[in-house]
Amino acid sequence: MDFINLLSHISLKHIRFQKARMFMAVCGICLGVAAMVSIDIVNRSVLKSFEDSINHVTGRAALQVTGADSGFPEQMLDKVRNVPGVEYALPVIETNANLAGGKERSFMILGVDSLQDHQIRNYSLTDKSADIPDPLLFLAKKDSILLTREMAVREGIKIDQEIQVQTVQGIKKFTVRGLLDPEGPAKASGGDIAIMDIYAAQPAFGKEGRIDRIDLSFLPGETLNTMKDRIQSALPEGYYVDTPAGRSRQVEILLTRFRKVIGLIGFMAIFVGMYLIYNAVSISVVQRRKEIGILRALGATRVQIITLFIGEALAVSALASFLGIGLGIVFAKLTVGVVAQSVTDMYLKTSVRELTFSWDFLIKDVGIGIIASFAAAAFPAFAGARITPVSAIRAVPYSEDGFLLNRKTRIASAFFILLSILIFTAYKTAGPSSAFRSSAATFSSMIFLVLGVSLSTPAFLRLFMAGFHRFFSPRMGAGVRLAGLNLQKNISRNAVAVSAVFYSIAMFVSSSSMIYSLNRSFLDYIEAVERCDILVSSGHPLAMGGAPSIPMPEEMWKDIEKVPGVLSADPFRKTFLNYDGRRLFLGAIDIVRSMEYNQYILTAGNRKDIRRLLPHQDNIMVNEGFAARYRIKPGDFLVLPTPNGPIRFGVTAVVVSYVSDSGSIWMDINTYQRHWRDHLADNFAVRVKPNESIPTVREAILDRFGKERKIFALPSREFKGIVRDMLGRSFTLTNAVNIITLIIAGLGIIITLLASVLERTREIGVLRSIGMKRGQVSGVVIIESALLGAAGGVLGSATGVLIGWINLEGFFRLDLGASVQYHIHFVSIGWSLLLSIVFSALAGLYPARRAAKTNIVEALAYE
Amino acid sequence: MIKLTNASKKYQQGAREVHALKEVSLDIRKGEFLSVMGPSGSGKSTLLNLMGGLDQPSSGEIFIDTRPLHGISDDELTLIRRRRVGFIFQFFNLLPILTAVENVSLPLLLEGTPLSQIKSKAIDLLGQVGLGERIEHRPEQLSGGEMQRVAIARALITSPAVLLADEPTGNLDSHTSEEIFMLLRNLNEEGQTIVMVTHDSRAAAYGTRIITLKDGSLSEDIRLGEH
Repeated sequence: MDFINLLSHISLKHIRFQKARMFMAVCGICLGVAAMVSIDIVNRSVLKSFEDSINHVTGRAALQVTGADSGFPEQMLDKVRNVPGVEYALPVIETNANLAGGKERSFMILGVDSLQDHQIRNYSLTDKSADIPDPLLFLAKKDSILLTREMAVREGIKIDQEIQVQTVQGIKKFTVRGLLDPEGPAKASGGDIAIMDIYAAQPAFGKEGRIDRIDLSFLPGETLNTMKDRIQSALPEGYYVDTPAGRSRQVEILLTRFRKVIGLIGFMAIFVGMYLIYNAVSISVVQRRKEIGILRALGATRVQIITLFIGEALAVSALASFLGIGLGIVFAKLTVGVVAQSVTDMYLKTSVRELTFSWDFLIKDVGIGIIASFAAAAFPAFAGARITPVSAIRAVPYSEDGFLLNRKTRIASAFFILLSILIFTAYKTAGPSSAFRSSAATFSSMIFLVLGVSLSTPAFLRLFMAGFHRFFSPRMGAGVRLAGLNLQKNISRNAVAVSAVFYSIAMFVSSSSMIYSLNRSFLDYIEAVERCDILVSSGHPLAMGGAPSIPMPEEMWKDIEKVPGVLSADPFRKTFLNYDGRRLFLGAIDIVRSMEYNQYILTAGNRKDIRRLLPHQDNIMVNEGFAARYRIKPGDFLVLPTPNGPIRFGVTAVVVSYVSDSGSIWMDINTYQRHWRDHLADNFAVRVKPNESIPTVREAILDRFGKERKIFALPSREFKGIVRDMLGRSFTLTNAVNIITLIIAGLGIIITLLASVLERTREIGVLRSIGMKRGQVSGVVIIESALLGAAGGVLGSATGVLIGWINLEGFFRLDLGASVQYHIHFVSIGWSLLLSIVFSALAGLYPARRAAKTNIVEALAYE
Repeated sequence: MIKLTNASKKYQQGAREVHALKEVSLDIRKGEFLSVMGPSGSGKSTLLNLMGGLDQPSSGEIFIDTRPLHGISDDELTLIRRRRVGFIFQFFNLLPILTAVENVSLPLLLEGTPLSQIKSKAIDLLGQVGLGERIEHRPEQLSGGEMQRVAIARALITSPAVLLADEPTGNLDSHTSEEIFMLLRNLNEEGQTIVMVTHDSRAAAYGTRIITLKDGSLSEDIRLGEH
């Protein structure tokens, strides 16, 4: 009851009478929750689009058999059909294609057995196609294709129209035999899907004799697990039998790092929110120190004081959290396109058509917001409860009160910093299978570091001001000296503003350094391994990474080399393997020719061995992230699944490669072709003869192949620019959270300085009465603000450098390998310091104006 | 009513130790109006803080209605402050966000009593101190004298054993001060025990007993007889 009394008679009045401060606190928390909600929505929407796509394409299939991404021999189909209990086992080819004309949009080709596929998938045709007796039968004609109605309308395609499609064989003509209603498979891939007969799709997409998947149903009475075991045992190693839901889970695993990074940003967002609440409650405690004293004198217990402040924080955060949901949905709408594009660039093609959100996770986000508010409010609330009535009622200067400078705070600060160091040391020294070797460990280390440093801000500010007085103050005018003294007098309160700046600058510097490090490492890597002059690909310019591509015949290199000015054209082929539940990247190259101009960076093994052991032999190179995870070294052997069963490969070297965060394996293209029987290439690295012009040769390549297929002939510089853009896009959300953090820091400074000016009304009045001009008064407040910004900027930059390193370790080096070097981004540190001072000075403008307007007579009468 | 036995209070002020109160023994009877006098720094406010449970003695014993104020937990001390003591401060110490009636009700609100049950009592008390027409005014809308009347009403709402007033007119003009002293004397005449700290001998004369402190020690104790 007493809690309700306090909340309704004191807290709500504060909220009502201090509208500006409350508005800023609500804005900050609302932004934090909005960031978290939008990240949650974007993450779920991306996953849901994959899941929906898989479910729509799967139809009534209970199980699916998959092998290597490049496909597997169709003889496997007979093995599966012969398994007792199997009702239907139908082959599927699932690949990408591009429309050669129009918007050149990429879409999914589903190659199915046109005679039997209706047994597990439903195809509903539009009315205009109704005169076709059985459209699937039409597909038996090699040039037939069914499009979705949505795609046809968008591209202006009609039934019986001929369309040009980019295939492995180049641009091929197909006739649209019907349009599919948005049901079943037609809803997959956001409607960007076309159906073909599998026997027409195989040659068109370079999969003669091979299929990508077998979808199957089983007879009534058979159980899922029994059938799964039976089919699995009928197939060689390297084949996976899973439910469609299991495949969705595989996609989730594939996107692990994407989800980890996006999760980190989500945590950062909520941490920003927590920080703001901590700030708001701290300021509130400092500002209402006298009120606390009065309440304590009148008989309020410490618990009542704590509940008062926590209750207020919860009330404000509950309101702000609900507002944050709405704003979060808006943020999600604005960012989902960019994030989906990043996922397409790096992992799998995705097209998010609608946002996925449900009340349960929105409530969860609000719940997290409120719990985080509770945790954030607890420390300053406890500090408030420690204020003695005597010290608060008498006008004791804050520095004498020192509730944020006491021994317990210093011990807590040292404890958190030490804990952070211990966790990080454990992470660095733990073995690959240890629980400490995880992103969770580095994340905890980062949180404890931020907490520890936050608690040390009063001590740091005292040190900073001591330094300022010693080295700068004597050379400055009276205004600067006065500003310095004011700050020193109110260390506790001013430390809260420093904390706000510290946190935002730390986040800004850490993410800038992390992004800079990744950019440098990736671009250095690309520089080393892509030293060709022109990169020829079809489909997606980033086909050498995780992006979906439309491969070309490997033999095409011979034709490219015939183009005048071309010195050499080396094919590159990629596929993915299932290895220990991970989707392992397999890159195949002509190792001898490639080594003539590319510089593979080895972390173990010998360069000569690569040249000697890799060509035509069952040997491979593995990337360092993979090698570290499985403790693989040169000389070890690795059994890999191939379409022809498991093969034992010798490891020749450990190489730096960032193409996949699940790990990558590299082998000679001849070895690959021998085992995978796949004679396609995803791109060609073209070198131009000395003294030949790259643009001229590029034009010549486009002239030669442009008519028969859509190709990208990207000069090296353009390609690197695309990589840079892709990296930039992948950090959109991080940058958005950084901007929000900076805004919140600005709000924090305005709140603090305003509080400071209001509390010093009498003092300002005295200064005005003895002859200080209005301009001088506002000058002092602005200098104070700039000094607070400088202190926060220095502390934030130093901590940001450490946080950047910790996050790079846990979120990138862990997956990509230790060769991802940490580079401190000094430019962003310079900007941070400048921005923190300028931004803080700007934040001080309004409080300065208020101070300058102080009425002398009223101020001197001020209690 | 209030009994102090060898009560001392030491403070640490930087590196210096300040002996604010030195072994003061005092017995205040029910219904007394005690005026505490002494120059600045003599320990008057420290003595009042100890009697009101705002602070605890470094040594010695303090009892209020035979209940010890020394060596008890913070929560126990807080409840004694809330239920047995009424404070009147020099600077009124009203909460600026609350109206007069809410400020008066505050000690009982802390007790968990709903405002609806307190309001009539609070209005009555405001009427008694002459503010019946200003119950919904906030402190900024009141004069200094009116604010101190609100503070007196607030101090009375729990029917405390003792009213402790620390320079209650230190911030008021002489006419208003006179009114406040009369109010306190009337309360005392109705049986309310009052301890008032003042450095003004005219103000002290409103009391029934005057003690004088010097350098933290009791130097004089004069009983003036009943009014």
